[in-house]
Amino acid sequence: MTEELSNQNPSTQDSQLAEQLERLVRSIQASGHAVLPRSSDALLQSIVAAAARIFGAGAASIALIDEKKGTLDFKVAVGPGNTDVVGMSIPRDKGIAGYVAMTGQPIAVSNVEQDARFAQDFARSTGYMPRSILATPLLSNERVIGVMEVLDKIQAASFGLQDMELLGMFAHQAALAIDISQQFDRLGEALIYGLTRLADAETAVAMPDLLAALEKIKVEDPQGSDLLALADLFNQISQLGSAERRACLKVLAVFAEYGSAKAKFSRGGFGR
Amino acid sequence: MSDEQLRPAWSQAFMDVALLSLSVSGPLAQLSPEWAWGGSTGKGVRVAVVDSGIEHDHPALDSCVRGGVAVEYDEQAYMSHRIDPDPEPQDVSGHGTACAGIIHAIAPEAELYSVRVLGRDMRGRGIQFAAGLDWAIDNGMQVVNMSLSTSNQDYFALLHDLVDNAYFKNIPLVSAVNNIPAPSFPSLYSSVISVAAHAGKDPFTYYYNPNPPVEFGAPGIDVRVAWNNKQYITSTGNSFAAPHITGIVTLIRAKHPELTPFQIKTVLWACAENVQRMRV
Repeated sequence: MTEELSNQNPSTQDSQLAEQLERLVRSIQASGHAVLPRSSDALLQSIVAAAARIFGAGAASIALIDEKKGTLDFKVAVGPGNTDVVGMSIPRDKGIAGYVAMTGQPIAVSNVEQDARFAQDFARSTGYMPRSILATPLLSNERVIGVMEVLDKIQAASFGLQDMELLGMFAHQAALAIDISQQFDRLGEALIYGLTRLADAETAVAMPDLLAALEKIKVEDPQGSDLLALADLFNQISQLGSAERRACLKVLAVFAEYGSAKAKFSRGGFGR
Repeated sequence: MSDEQLRPAWSQAFMDVALLSLSVSGPLAQLSPEWAWGGSTGKGVRVAVVDSGIEHDHPALDSCVRGGVAVEYDEQAYMSHRIDPDPEPQDVSGHGTACAGIIHAIAPEAELYSVRVLGRDMRGRGIQFAAGLDWAIDNGMQVVNMSLSTSNQDYFALLHDLVDNAYFKNIPLVSAVNNIPAPSFPSLYSSVISVAAHAGKDPFTYYYNPNPPVEFGAPGIDVRVAWNNKQYITSTGNSFAAPHITGIVTLIRAKHPELTPFQIKTVLWACAENVQRMRV
């Protein structure tokens, strides 16, 4: 058996490895794109359900921005008409949610039914007419990625500022959940990218089949490629002499310090 | 999430239970709302509303909007933006119109200018905001309302610089603090007049908070405001508290054009509802 294997043509070994790798990478991709978002949808769903309960709201939803289409797409919702709301897209610059997406500022609106335009927009798309709305941005790295809304505070005419501040914390949780699922997406991309580079490198054994297999599942524009470039740099630095490595470390340490000091200054003063 | 990221609830300082009673004595106790803005209509003061635009022909505004500009994101242009004249401004959401309506109700003879820094394209939000503020400072605006902020750290230094520039040019900037668990600029800088909402309804009743960064609390809860398409909505947010203070600053500015931003802030403090003026 061992004999047989060692006698095998290296290119056959390569093609078997390539086949296995392709399967593996495809399953990672699948988990990145399908399984994880599903589990993060469940988390988002539980966040909106908890928010609706705590605020005593009739309904709640999360919509995410689709940069390419210029829309806000409703991902999860609880309350009446929730099945109609999920999957719905609205222009990113329309209505209360659009305003929040545009400005990154939360807003509460009461007596909504008195305002014909909002009422019509909403009623037309969901068949549900809210009296009051509280909407807050979902922020990821200081960028608005979506909007979380709660509708119809029970036993009150409107949402107050404390509700607004509390919803901000729920929105932060939701944004973290979305961040995590996006990072898993990127993990698959990073792996493929890394393997491609490895197969592409000037190694003793050429791996044409592996390269071809990777080519098939290639990610067009790997996100986080700047991080990979950074990793590449580290790799290069590690091959330098110890004096050079120490010099590089110093530069990096100063930069890291600068970065954290910048964050500290800009957040300073209200650490209480 | 680190504790650092957990922002205090700004408006809680202005709840009835939390309000601190303060006092002012000596010569500053002579300051009174009557002295500060009694009889003023804000006549002739140019007020910029840096926001989503202003619906210039909204009935709530009685033609007080005199013009403005639209700052658009433009990748090809210098610093990725261009500034287009906007003589008859419109509003992309309604928010700027709401702010303008509040200012106009308090200072009916002030001249309002729309500096639209929001649009469909969201990529340039930070640079549009900074460019809009820069335009207001360089184009003769005398009071600026910013019911907007950014939490993008990249704009920390640029906005800081602009805000200082306004301060040195005697232009009071009124900034709404953002009620989200993140820092927001420029509302947290000391040279602006930062405002959060309180539950009162009287437009001239506001409070001073001795625990900065948020220094003033003005009406911002369930306020009936003008909105796009000549409509009105009832809304809540610090965004609507700031223009109340902008309106009062405009009145002070019209009556006492010699006052600097730090003097105006002192007048605002001395005339706040929770500051007792003790005669000595």
